[in-house]
Amino acid sequence: MFRSTLRQMMQHKALYAMMLPVIAYFAIFVYYPLYEGAIASFQEFKLLGARPYVGWENYETVWNDPRFWQVLRNTLIIGGGILVLGFLPPIIIAVALNELRLMLAKKFTQTVVYLPHLFSWVVVGGMWIYLLSPSGGLVNELLNLIDVGPVRFLTNATWARVMMIVLPIWKDAGYAAIIYLASITAISPSIYEAARIDGASRFQQVRQITIPLLAPTMKVVFMLNILGLLRIFDQIYVMQNGVVKRQVDVLMTYVYDMGIQKYEVGYASAVSMLVLLATLGMTAVVWTLTGFGKDNT
Amino acid sequence: MTHRLSRRSLVGGASALGAGAALSYRLGAFAQATPAATPAVDADFLAASDELIATLQGQSGKKLRILSAVVGGKTPEEDALFAQEIQRLTNIEIDLVHPTADYGQKMLADLAAGVQYDLIYTNKDTQDVLVDQEVLTDLTDRIANSAILQNPTVIPTAEWDMLKYDGDKFYSVFQKFEGSRMLTVRQDWLDQLGIEAPTTLDDVYTTMVAFRDQDPAGNGAGVTLGLSTAGTYDIQPFMSSEGILPGYVDVDGKRTIPYATEAAIPVYEWLAKLYAEGLYDPNFATATTADMRNLFMTNKVGFVTYWDTWVGLFNNTMLTEDPDTSFVAKGIAACAGPDGKVILNRGQPSVWTIPVNAADPDTAFQFIEWWNTFPGITVGSLGILDNDYTVDADGNYALTELGKEHGMDHGDPTPYNSNWVNPIGELPGLKEAQEITKAHGYLAVAGPQWSPDVTPILDEFIIKAILGDLSPADAVSSMNEALLGADLIDG
Repeated sequence: MFRSTLRQMMQHKALYAMMLPVIAYFAIFVYYPLYEGAIASFQEFKLLGARPYVGWENYETVWNDPRFWQVLRNTLIIGGGILVLGFLPPIIIAVALNELRLMLAKKFTQTVVYLPHLFSWVVVGGMWIYLLSPSGGLVNELLNLIDVGPVRFLTNATWARVMMIVLPIWKDAGYAAIIYLASITAISPSIYEAARIDGASRFQQVRQITIPLLAPTMKVVFMLNILGLLRIFDQIYVMQNGVVKRQVDVLMTYVYDMGIQKYEVGYASAVSMLVLLATLGMTAVVWTLTGFGKDNT
Repeated sequence: MTHRLSRRSLVGGASALGAGAALSYRLGAFAQATPAATPAVDADFLAASDELIATLQGQSGKKLRILSAVVGGKTPEEDALFAQEIQRLTNIEIDLVHPTADYGQKMLADLAAGVQYDLIYTNKDTQDVLVDQEVLTDLTDRIANSAILQNPTVIPTAEWDMLKYDGDKFYSVFQKFEGSRMLTVRQDWLDQLGIEAPTTLDDVYTTMVAFRDQDPAGNGAGVTLGLSTAGTYDIQPFMSSEGILPGYVDVDGKRTIPYATEAAIPVYEWLAKLYAEGLYDPNFATATTADMRNLFMTNKVGFVTYWDTWVGLFNNTMLTEDPDTSFVAKGIAACAGPDGKVILNRGQPSVWTIPVNAADPDTAFQFIEWWNTFPGITVGSLGILDNDYTVDADGNYALTELGKEHGMDHGDPTPYNSNWVNPIGELPGLKEAQEITKAHGYLAVAGPQWSPDVTPILDEFIIKAILGDLSPADAVSSMNEALLGADLIDG
């Protein structure tokens, strides 16, 4: 098998050679730092000088650190919320976009929906901090008109968590919707034609044809979201504040605090390794449960 | 943070000869500057400075690699000019690494990767970590033998206590004078209402009410805010009213945090009262310092708590926009405690350090000494000759347009050296604010755990107390519980 693989590679050596820069990029900028991080997680890491190996000490410290468990809880709540609640909106947006017949309206709506994804969280987060301000913020000014509030969206622990879930969904729904829309446009029109001839309404066509045929795309999107579940950082870092930090601090902001602020690189690396392993584990479970790759198109 | 002192300066150049200084005035903001009396330059300092500069000029082939967060130009091109200017004045070839962002990450990554620097700028909090990790060179003997640094007119003797480690060791030298955060008020509103600057908590409250109700801002009665802060940054002037010290305080060998004690309850009650009565910025919990400054400069709020340097910068900014403005910011020594004393949070010292893997620690230390001489101070404040400022044939200094934008801040806008007089002049209100810092500034004991571990706990419960989510007593109790649970204080 190895020989036949090698033979095949030699047959198409030019193509395989084109992969080399990509492999080199990942090797240098992804896998080598990963390797160094793994090493650091077993060391009493010092910036200069000897870095003695301390075995599993960093991992034991993590395991016994109540703040680690608090941020893990926060991450699962916020990440899980984004995963679950953020699953449907892109599908609804994509199906709705597909129903638009006027091309100009369709393109315009597509652009508007996709735009938030293009902006950095620094911009989006800063913007929402102002919009959600208890005094002078647009949302509270509107609520004021109906005698509600002011609501402290970012300084109340419960509301802050809700915002940390809702705002990423809002920001990235357009991106996932575009992926779904691409899959919808790839569905053969003859299937819809046949259904129409059989008397199926438009709603029935969407429910019986569009949604089932989107299943492989849903698996892809779900898998991508699982990969990012434990690694949320940007919106938390930008929008957190002193009063809600303990309730919205997540694993990656915790790693940032420990590694960059306190220079406890060994400890931070141990947390990062645990996040990596947990992400791989969750991905493997989801991969198996969804049968990913078996009928993926 | 920028901070200017009024000092004599010498004509720019390699030499530090002479005691004549000329102050020049320009139209615009700096026309407001107060010409300072020219104190005599300390003869010992002058001699040591001359000797150092002569030594530097006599050397050749010296190179230094400097990692700096604040020292340098405002653009990469200006950084190159800055390095050339230092080379012109010291004969040392400078490789200036001046990240525009993520300085901490850059320093961490470079040190961990073994990148060699001869000099690293940092602050005391980070320095504590670096000392603990044995990254920094012991400078104790060098400092002790330095005629420049040991001169009390250059760096006051008592200041060195801030940088001392166990065993009376030193691993750094001050990069500039670090000011304090103080209560800053709209003096023009006080004048308009005929009110004296408040010094007690009750007076501050009364003044805030007057600002809101008597409307000197012209916003309409009931609209103007009394106070804006960025979260709990910085409520220390109010904590001062109960004699509460910031940071850690050792009580009978136990770590305590006065902000988390019952003594702080009256202050939290007072702040909660401000919030409940609409005198405190409703957005303070999520506001940044930029938001706070903007509110102050757009007549929305009467008090902020901010750096002494910013008293001058507020005035300068508003005068630059409108030379006829009535805006006047003033720093005030408030709030006095039961013993009449005021306690203000002094900024963590900004320092120069030499890492243990420096290629040329000797020349690096010479640079540190030079940084405290007149040419060094001039570069660190005014900037680059013929780029940021010019000197005419009569020795008169003038800022260029670029220099005006740079605000005389190239990393050392507020030098310690009392022999130096800024030839351009002082920003309005700055000197008085700095006098308050000298009289009342207190350097909190914080340590590397403070920002990532202690601050979130304090912030959470103090803000909840102010917002009314918790009673101040419950907030203090919760703070204590959380701090004890995280082993950040001793029971």
